[in-house]
Amino acid sequence: MTDAKQQPKDGDVLIRVEDLSKNFANLKVLKGINTTISRGEKVVIIGPSGSGKSTFLRCLNRLERATSGKIIVDGEDILAMRERDVNCVRQKMGMVFQHFNLFGHLTIRKNITLAPVKLKLMTQQEADEKASELLEKVGLYDKADAYPSQLSGGQKQRIAIARSLAMDPEIMLFDEPTSALDPEMVGEVLELMKELADSGMTMVVVTHEMGFAKEVASRVMFMDDGNIIEEAPPQEFFDNPKNSRTKLFLSRIL
Amino acid sequence: MEDFKQKFHDTFITDDRWKYLVEGLENTLIITLFAALLGIVIGFAVAIVRSTHDRTGKLKILNLVSRVYLTVIRGTPMVVQLMIMYFVIFATLHAKYKIYVAILSFGINSGAYVAEIVRSGIMSIDNGQFEAGSSLGLSYPRTMFYVIMPQAFKNVLPALANEVIVLLKETSVAGYIGMEDLTKKGDIIRGATYEAYLPLLAVALIYLIMVMILTWLVSKLERRLRRNDRR
Repeated sequence: MTDAKQQPKDGDVLIRVEDLSKNFANLKVLKGINTTISRGEKVVIIGPSGSGKSTFLRCLNRLERATSGKIIVDGEDILAMRERDVNCVRQKMGMVFQHFNLFGHLTIRKNITLAPVKLKLMTQQEADEKASELLEKVGLYDKADAYPSQLSGGQKQRIAIARSLAMDPEIMLFDEPTSALDPEMVGEVLELMKELADSGMTMVVVTHEMGFAKEVASRVMFMDDGNIIEEAPPQEFFDNPKNSRTKLFLSRIL
Repeated sequence: MEDFKQKFHDTFITDDRWKYLVEGLENTLIITLFAALLGIVIGFAVAIVRSTHDRTGKLKILNLVSRVYLTVIRGTPMVVQLMIMYFVIFATLHAKYKIYVAILSFGINSGAYVAEIVRSGIMSIDNGQFEAGSSLGLSYPRTMFYVIMPQAFKNVLPALANEVIVLLKETSVAGYIGMEDLTKKGDIIRGATYEAYLPLLAVALIYLIMVMILTWLVSKLERRLRRNDRR
């Protein structure tokens, strides 16, 4: 939450990551990540599978607890926070998952309104209005009273995005949002993400969609073997990669 | 045929013996109902403690208590637990309160089975549901209550219904502490008439009908809960 006298502006640092490491038992997944994410940025993270990109993303809202390092959000290290305070931080960080993770027992409308209402940020009526607005935006207004199992994968992911947006997040994290979709449904989700990017949302996206990276990213981050190998604006990154591993990766996928 | 009529009359009509069965049924239903409620309360609590411990590593002591409870209750026969409860733990209690002892004993026993059923239900829920709840800023208890439990409950409903059916039939051992439940009352009629076949058949039939009614009610409830799974 930002008060009136200090308007947030593009370029303010939202998240600062310092020397972040993550081990699973003896496996070192992240080996000292340093980076910052600023308001308005669209960071697209790419890299081979097992490179640690999803783990890195999940560390940002502490779904995955990093082993060492710092993640500074609003001047506070979320790794040192109590669970209750982390929950507050998460309210401002939307997350979209590969497998949607919609709540199967609730209607679409309830999926969207559950968190704002139970966290007492909105009344049910306010939340319902917000849900209608968001459903209109993602083009699924007619599905408000359907259940998740009645939707296609692409529709589910658009609802998952709407559900995150209902919390008015300052930043959205996307963990391979199109990887579980049938090819013909990838487009509708990417389209919505582009609209979101155009509206000024700060986004961090782990994806294999190079077209999306080229078109939407303000910065492409290439990860391999638990490290950030190279970071650059998309044009520079794709046309003129500097690191040999980046070159090798790009030669394989493009 | 005349013989049968006479036996039927002796068993059910003479001295209003059918009323025995009604009284017994009443006790059986009271014990079952309250023991089931108690079992569900205990079972959900224990299941939540156990799965919270498995997921987060917290609640160590409560988890240990829960595991001891499950081991002891599931490792000893119901009748023995009932008798220990009545003749040892509540030995000084007046006999007129024995129905409370029965409810407590059956409830504690059922809770252990309900706990494992509910825990399996919680474990059947995809981890992504927890993560989605967390990512929206919902605390662990809120995620548990609003997201996980409703789905877990739906998944385990048939198993829970089965547990209630088992409990209903298991209350037939309440006679061991002199509780006059349906089975015991049937036995009293048998003792009075020296005729075993009719009262036992009647008792069996009454249990069967109750179980069938329960099964029917549960399938109705299940259909209601499944409504959101339909494509």
